[in-house]
Amino acid sequence: MTLLTVRNLQVTYRSETAVSRPVDGASFTINPREVVGLVGDAGSGKSTAALALLGLARAPGAITGGAVIFEGRDLLKLPDDEVRAIRGRDIGIIVQNPRAALNPMLRVGTQIGNAYKAHNPATEAQARKQAVDMLRMVGINDPERRVEAFAHELSGGMAQRALIAMALSSKPKLLIADEPTSGLDVTIQAQFLDEMWQTVQSTGSAILLVTQELGVIANYCDRVLVLHDGRIVEDAPVRDFFANPQHPYSQDVLRLFRERGGEYPAQITGPRDFLKTDALTKHFPLRNSKKVVQAVDKVTLTIGRAEAVGLVGESGSGKTTVGRCLLRLVDATSGKITFDGTDITALPPADMRKIRSRMQIVFQDPYDSLNPRWTIEDLLAEPLRVHGTPDKATVRAKATAALNLVDLDPALLDRKPRGLGASTLQRVNIARALILDPEFVVLDEPTSVLAPRARNGLIALLAKLQKDLGISFLFISHDLTTVRYLCQRVAVMYLGQIVEEGTVEQVFSTPRHPYSAALLSAHLFPDPTHRRVDHPVPAALQGEIPSPIDVPKGCYLSSRCPHATDTCRATAQTLTSLPDGRQVRCMRVVNGEI
Amino acid sequence: MTDLSGPSDLPPLAVRKRDGLLTFGVTIVTVVCILAVIGPYIGPYDPTLTTPRVAVPPPGLLEIPGTFIGWLSGTLEYPPHWMGTDASGYDIFSRVIAAPRTDLAIALAANALSLILGVFFGLIAGYYRNWGTEFMMRVSDVMQSFPVFISAMVLVALAGRSTTNIVIALAFVYVPIYIRLTRAEVLSQKSRGFVEAARALGQPELTIALRHVLPNSMTPALIQSSVTIGFAILLTAGLSFVGAGVRPPTPEWGLMISTGANQIILGEWWPSVFPGIAISLTVFGFAVLGNALERRYEEGQ
Repeated sequence: MTLLTVRNLQVTYRSETAVSRPVDGASFTINPREVVGLVGDAGSGKSTAALALLGLARAPGAITGGAVIFEGRDLLKLPDDEVRAIRGRDIGIIVQNPRAALNPMLRVGTQIGNAYKAHNPATEAQARKQAVDMLRMVGINDPERRVEAFAHELSGGMAQRALIAMALSSKPKLLIADEPTSGLDVTIQAQFLDEMWQTVQSTGSAILLVTQELGVIANYCDRVLVLHDGRIVEDAPVRDFFANPQHPYSQDVLRLFRERGGEYPAQITGPRDFLKTDALTKHFPLRNSKKVVQAVDKVTLTIGRAEAVGLVGESGSGKTTVGRCLLRLVDATSGKITFDGTDITALPPADMRKIRSRMQIVFQDPYDSLNPRWTIEDLLAEPLRVHGTPDKATVRAKATAALNLVDLDPALLDRKPRGLGASTLQRVNIARALILDPEFVVLDEPTSVLAPRARNGLIALLAKLQKDLGISFLFISHDLTTVRYLCQRVAVMYLGQIVEEGTVEQVFSTPRHPYSAALLSAHLFPDPTHRRVDHPVPAALQGEIPSPIDVPKGCYLSSRCPHATDTCRATAQTLTSLPDGRQVRCMRVVNGEI
Repeated sequence: MTDLSGPSDLPPLAVRKRDGLLTFGVTIVTVVCILAVIGPYIGPYDPTLTTPRVAVPPPGLLEIPGTFIGWLSGTLEYPPHWMGTDASGYDIFSRVIAAPRTDLAIALAANALSLILGVFFGLIAGYYRNWGTEFMMRVSDVMQSFPVFISAMVLVALAGRSTTNIVIALAFVYVPIYIRLTRAEVLSQKSRGFVEAARALGQPELTIALRHVLPNSMTPALIQSSVTIGFAILLTAGLSFVGAGVRPPTPEWGLMISTGANQIILGEWWPSVFPGIAISLTVFGFAVLGNALERRYEEGQ
């Protein structure tokens, strides 16, 4: 028997100027104890559909048709008070932004208790006990103390877990999770999804998991629903979906994963000395304090001509600061940067300007990195005008060529950024970075704000450009899947230090440093044949990343590492080469102990 | 997102709802601007010359149609005083519609001056943060902490009653507002990605400040202009009212209220009330316009 049947669901948004139907005739079913993934592009109506299952729609939207039959009753036809009783008790929901969803004025325990009491006859003490139990169940350490915490005292990951505790407190039969891990780091994302998965196994709930991430779908879901143009266009078991997608949209989303399957990019043959850093360090002073934020700590990195090097790590690991230091957008506190044999660490501004035409950067946020008042042509002309005095015809010709290079229509030249999509704007950014034929480009998470389909297109483009133009890339990303397809070598950063560096194949297939191992095991590769939930998860890191203001004395990872010894905690680690050519910052690995 | 052709139970796409208040504000502002150009020439009397008839009340409501017909057919011995005359014999109506020339000109000039200075200093204060610009902001705080009216009055009293001095005094009291508005916007714009991108391209700092940051930081100040012009008109009138503004017999609303105020006790309400209404409507019109512009800007963001 099915738990939930949705038939021809329709949600209409009506504004003064337009009418749109983000959900228009969606039909699907969910069975008891089943984990169903709902995928679709940004704006495809996923969240709207998820909310509509509770009989809710955000203003100015309204549910204008269809049926949501939950255990034989149509929620859209039931009286309000009966629907309210079902919400929260039988159907729980977890929303995207955990902090916004928690009431900042109430203790977490009180909120979980209230959610429980709303649907179960319970005394204050019972509700509190339930809150403690739920927090323990979702894997929060020391739940007796945490029930007293306010939302601002919890980290993002913990707030998200508190929300799931609240949603599951009444053991609902269906849990709707709307992008529950967006904005969380990979290690926390995996921990959280593991806990959610395990928890629903014990409560016997079904899950509707709304997400854009194929990795999440592949690792946790039994079945996939693809929402496109307001309708469910594909409904398949997860393995069939990845092996043999039917709908053109699904095929498009999975293209990159399917085409490039197992192979790694070929290594370069030349010397790796085009761009070098030597013990690059960046400290940011704190206001009214003698302490500093140690953003980058003695990073030594080499990149060869036409080589793509990935720089990975959690947020706050200093990846972006390294990129900005390389381009002298911030000045390093100490250390040395050499570009094509020239020491640029303290190059005078006039000389630095000349070098800038040879090195470029593409930023993370495409909306923010283009001046909204300029036309695309002016934006593309800016680098040409800084490094020369081109005439109008030259500018037009070069700008057109640059747009062609990134597969954009030259008709865009007269448009302004407003109204263009993220993927188009990011291509304009890339075109601007490439228009001077640079030899080295820093790509700072260029794909992180894009939807999966656009992301695939951009990665394919970057791979092609790198190959055709022979540019050196420093690809900064937390998305290991992209790094694997694009880069020859990879450096893993933790708390401002590089902890492991080697070829992508070395690091990805046999990570040696405990942090690399944890990062890789937490990464959800879009491969349903090795699902994370099907085998025991390797030792995860304990706790959270320490503050870069008060770094640990010995090995930076010692507070979280399962292999840490007293020596680790007392001795600072150095980056040491292993016989296979990679470098690792862990004496126990170097000594062959782990 | 979805194709909406075919039968539908929905009404056709709604037309953009008209904002009645905004229309009203725009109308007032337009009328005031037109009067500022042609006002002194279209009145029935010369606004700076007296008539032999003193303290004539405006025609009563019931007399208006008769007076109007008489005026059109030319049977009256002199053009009617639609708003009466004051104790010196000036025709109020001619002066009320001639006054925008003075009031709006002063307000526009003062606003333009303070806008230019404020945006300039605001850009510097926001873009280059050092002890010099910090000091500048403190000075601007001190300037802003004086009551607007008192500072303007003192400035005019010190420098003398000329139109130029009134403009300078008004500009002086409005500059800090523009500095603050612009600086706040510059602070947020200068950390945007496109500024960093320009730096990565090798653009000199001055070019970045002028070509990237400045154009993106001016909108709040421009919106504020509409409100400032309205209040500058009020302040100009206020200065005249206390005798620190333009000199008689220049047609000016504040001056008219001031001279008429002495007569109110005698029951002659009209010399003050009509210019008073004119000021209220004008300030209201500019404020509504400013408000609407601000709302539109925020929606755009």
